[in-house]
Amino acid sequence: MFNALNSLITSGSGVNLLIIMIIVPALLALITIIIPKRSYFGRAILFLIATVVNLLFAISLFVGEEMTMLIPWADFGINLSLRVYDFSQFMVLAAACFAFLVALYSISFMRNKSYSGKFFFYYLITLALVNGALLANNLVVMLFFWEGLLVTLFGMTIIGNAKRPAVAMKALILNGVADLLLMFGIAITAMQAGTMAMDMIVDIPMEGLGIVGFVCMMLGAIGKAGSMPFHSWIPDAAEQAPLPFMAILPAALEKMLGIYLLVRVCLTFYDFTPGSTLSIVVMAIGAITLVLAVAMALIQKDMKKLLSYHAISQVGYMILGIGTALPVGIVGGIFHMINHVIYKCCLFLTAGSVEKQAGTTDLNKISGLGRFMPITAICFIIAALSISGVPPFNGFFSKELIFDAALESGVIFYIAAILGAFLTAASFLKLGHAAFFGPVKLPEDVREKDMMEAPGAMLLPMIVLAAFCIFFGVGNAIPLSIIQPLLGDALGGANFAGWPHSTVLVLISIGVLLLAVLNHYLGYRRTGEGIKAVDHIHYLPGLHQVYNCAEKHYFDPYNILMLLFKFISYLCFAIDRCINWIYDVLFVKTIQGATTAMKNFNSGSTSRYIAWMFTGMAFVLMMFILLL
Amino acid sequence: MVGPGILLVCIFVPIVGAIIVPFLGKINTGLRNISALVFVLISFISAACALPAALNGTPLVSSLELPLGFSFSYYGDALAVFMAMTSSLVAAIIVFYSFGYIEKYPNQNEYYSMVLLFIGSMMGLVFSTNLIFIYTYWEISAICCWRLIGFYRKEDTVIKANKAYLITVGGAIFMLAGFIGIYIQTGTFDLLALQGQGLDSWIVILILFGILSKSATLPFHSWLPDAGVAPSPVTSLLHAAVLVKIGVYVYARLFLVNFHLDVVWSTAIPIIAAISAIVAAGAAIVENDIKRIIAYSTISQLSFIFLGLSSGTMIGVAGGLLYILMHSLAKGGLFLCAGIIEHSTHTKDIRQMSGLAKRLPVTCVAFAMCAFSVMGIPPFGGFFSKYMVIDGSLLSGQPWITAVFIIGAVMTVIYLLRVFCKVFFGELSHPDIKEGTWEMVTSVAILGIMSLLAGIFINIPSQLTTFIVESLGRW
Repeated sequence: MFNALNSLITSGSGVNLLIIMIIVPALLALITIIIPKRSYFGRAILFLIATVVNLLFAISLFVGEEMTMLIPWADFGINLSLRVYDFSQFMVLAAACFAFLVALYSISFMRNKSYSGKFFFYYLITLALVNGALLANNLVVMLFFWEGLLVTLFGMTIIGNAKRPAVAMKALILNGVADLLLMFGIAITAMQAGTMAMDMIVDIPMEGLGIVGFVCMMLGAIGKAGSMPFHSWIPDAAEQAPLPFMAILPAALEKMLGIYLLVRVCLTFYDFTPGSTLSIVVMAIGAITLVLAVAMALIQKDMKKLLSYHAISQVGYMILGIGTALPVGIVGGIFHMINHVIYKCCLFLTAGSVEKQAGTTDLNKISGLGRFMPITAICFIIAALSISGVPPFNGFFSKELIFDAALESGVIFYIAAILGAFLTAASFLKLGHAAFFGPVKLPEDVREKDMMEAPGAMLLPMIVLAAFCIFFGVGNAIPLSIIQPLLGDALGGANFAGWPHSTVLVLISIGVLLLAVLNHYLGYRRTGEGIKAVDHIHYLPGLHQVYNCAEKHYFDPYNILMLLFKFISYLCFAIDRCINWIYDVLFVKTIQGATTAMKNFNSGSTSRYIAWMFTGMAFVLMMFILLL
Repeated sequence: MVGPGILLVCIFVPIVGAIIVPFLGKINTGLRNISALVFVLISFISAACALPAALNGTPLVSSLELPLGFSFSYYGDALAVFMAMTSSLVAAIIVFYSFGYIEKYPNQNEYYSMVLLFIGSMMGLVFSTNLIFIYTYWEISAICCWRLIGFYRKEDTVIKANKAYLITVGGAIFMLAGFIGIYIQTGTFDLLALQGQGLDSWIVILILFGILSKSATLPFHSWLPDAGVAPSPVTSLLHAAVLVKIGVYVYARLFLVNFHLDVVWSTAIPIIAAISAIVAAGAAIVENDIKRIIAYSTISQLSFIFLGLSSGTMIGVAGGLLYILMHSLAKGGLFLCAGIIEHSTHTKDIRQMSGLAKRLPVTCVAFAMCAFSVMGIPPFGGFFSKYMVIDGSLLSGQPWITAVFIIGAVMTVIYLLRVFCKVFFGELSHPDIKEGTWEMVTSVAILGIMSLLAGIFINIPSQLTTFIVESLGRW
């Protein structure tokens, strides 16, 4: 059927399916915003139809053959060149699935919100841009779609919060820095490779400018994925931006884009080898991100914010895996990326249900919601078990692959990875316990008898995602059968499907999980409340002060960056004022001085004029005598 | 088929119009406004008519022989036509915007007259092939600029106008000395007769004085932020359509089309540009006056144009030319938006404004579109020009200078976003203001949408710039 659809579109009309993937969502977005505000239903249906159409096209791309298209655009090699092959087929399909599920959720979540129309508009534009970035076969064209996401990112963070633009500004500046670095990296890469066609760029040597090019592209990729040091807008946005935005952009599509590019940069564009200095640098970024972010997640008292720190921390695992440059690490990184999107999307959606029903996600105000919202609670538990790496859920299998690669690359990285696993499990025990179990606690304005399960349109996406958490765990051979061929020859015939190969590592991981449970139990016994179960870590002497500083944003790279630019700017402004002083004061004063001086020569006194005359004559005479 | 006369139409319709318009103003102000717009549009259309000939490789020439090297001709090659079309298009939108903006002020007859003369002198400069005539038109534009900056006739605005006049004319006199140097070296002022020569360094330095002072590049930039005291359509005209682009154009005309620069200049000019880009961007981050911020932004962005033009690579030069177009559209739009804001709130201090998006929704969207284009964020046109300039600079083998410009680009994002967020979001500071008149709002919307379309349909302007670059015949 999908092949038929494919051929129907491509034959006769001469229009390529690849460009349709970009144009159709964008056009539907324009129609969505034109529909009058009062017909929410019409808008929502059109919005949903757009994502369904996109999904159908994505499926037909997935089952179809490798395809390319090329339209001349700007000159100098900047052609609108698109290509679909195994990796992008898979990524586009995954993106379309998540986009559909979150869209289904949003139409229920966004009802009665004044900005729903704008949200749908930005959402569909985002989808078009993501499709474009994944399908692009030209570096500049990819950058075009990639950087275009800045606009929708800014739009989506500002719409719910027009009175507090600081977060949107932060998001745009941090991502803008990453994207401009990427622009620099792409320019260098294109120069080194002598072409902008992405399928022609292979194994640029790591020397001289090549290193700069690699580092800039890598930073651009991980910046989009939300790694440190480009992460700090995500927790802020979690508090203020509409929740479906969090579920679709920082938790899903941005991760997919970032990791997609990182894999391409490491695997094909550059000659990136295990054990090289740059490999260690990338792994270090991953390890630092995963440990620090999860440490921050541990102490959060707000469900959305806690989840957002995990969205940062998990990307650390992916970067760590890919940074090893080992086949097992790269496969693990990609697999973890897809797993992460599944469970993190699901977790954000459960948080959205809680917010919709209880009016808040502040853990100090809610507790014991499981008895009102059993399905939400079950979905949450499944996704939480996945992210904590409990077998046989999907997160377990991808994490084990990364642990394997990390241990092979250096014990320190392995230690960081299992420390992260411990803290992840501990924070989810706390979160689940505080939100869904324990005595019932509701915000003051919500009555117990009004509390009920979220509507079906919101439950369905969660259930589907939770089901995938189990399916990709138990049947991990299926996703891995798509991921492993992406590596091509580099895979070396290995197969990572099925139960993890190293039993010792599995035992250590399970031991760490048990330790987390023990930690939670002891903490709970000590304080008697689920939310305070990790307080003994939070208030550990020494650590407590560090946490305080972090909570006050002292370590926020954005603040440091802005401080730096402020310093530079004041310096520049001083230089500018100096130059201005030369024009406004120095010139004026000099000329005024000169004219005053000359005035004195022309005072009107006859005797003085005669004196000048004789002086002049004497001077001329002197000259004559000297010359003679 | 169009004859060479079309170039004369393009130049002299606005110039003659400048003389007619005050008389029309005595009869009927509406008639005067419409005819001013029509004169500019005629200029635009006739420039567009000269395009096919330029693209066929047979540019239109219209010339007159005079003794003593004063014979002159107007020559419509692709570069000139591109520049003329960009300028007259943006100028037409600005004139249309003026209908709403300027209606309450005295001296309107002079205003329209000067604006037309300004545009006419720009057209004359663009098509002239004689250095003396380039200089003449250059000075005419300086006089128009002086009258227009001092439009409000207050004491401080007159001082600022004098400053702008003195700095640009001071630079121009050095440039004239440079032109005389060219005459001494080659025996002619006619650019058509001068192809591919090298120039002595002292001549280049003298001419650069003129170019940098007109294009407001460090250290001759300080008149441009001060010129913000002028009415907003005037600042828009200065920044987007005519004045500062004159310097860039003459640079392209002399040093890309006609003369070959020494290798040392392909390092020296990017360094000057880099300093200018960073210092101006830094000042823009600190400033609080909305028009001064956007003016510093112009200084900073002009450096990107110089970087592209001086890179000596095809993609860089093409990027620099595209940058002229994209910057004209976007910066014109930003100033016109600033005009609406100033008109509504009666202040230029961004600390006193917030939350205006609620009251000025169209202006807000147009401002955002233009600002994104200046920042170089796709799908707006500024993205391609910025990328091409960066790429060209990199290919010229100076990665450190390119890196400095990347920092400049980051600062661009910061200062424009700061203005945008401060002015349009937050608590509403002026609850009882209204959106600008329909002429004003339409103008900014057109510029915003054109910035977007220029990005999505980049192939159209890009074909033209590529043609120009290829016809330089250097690569």
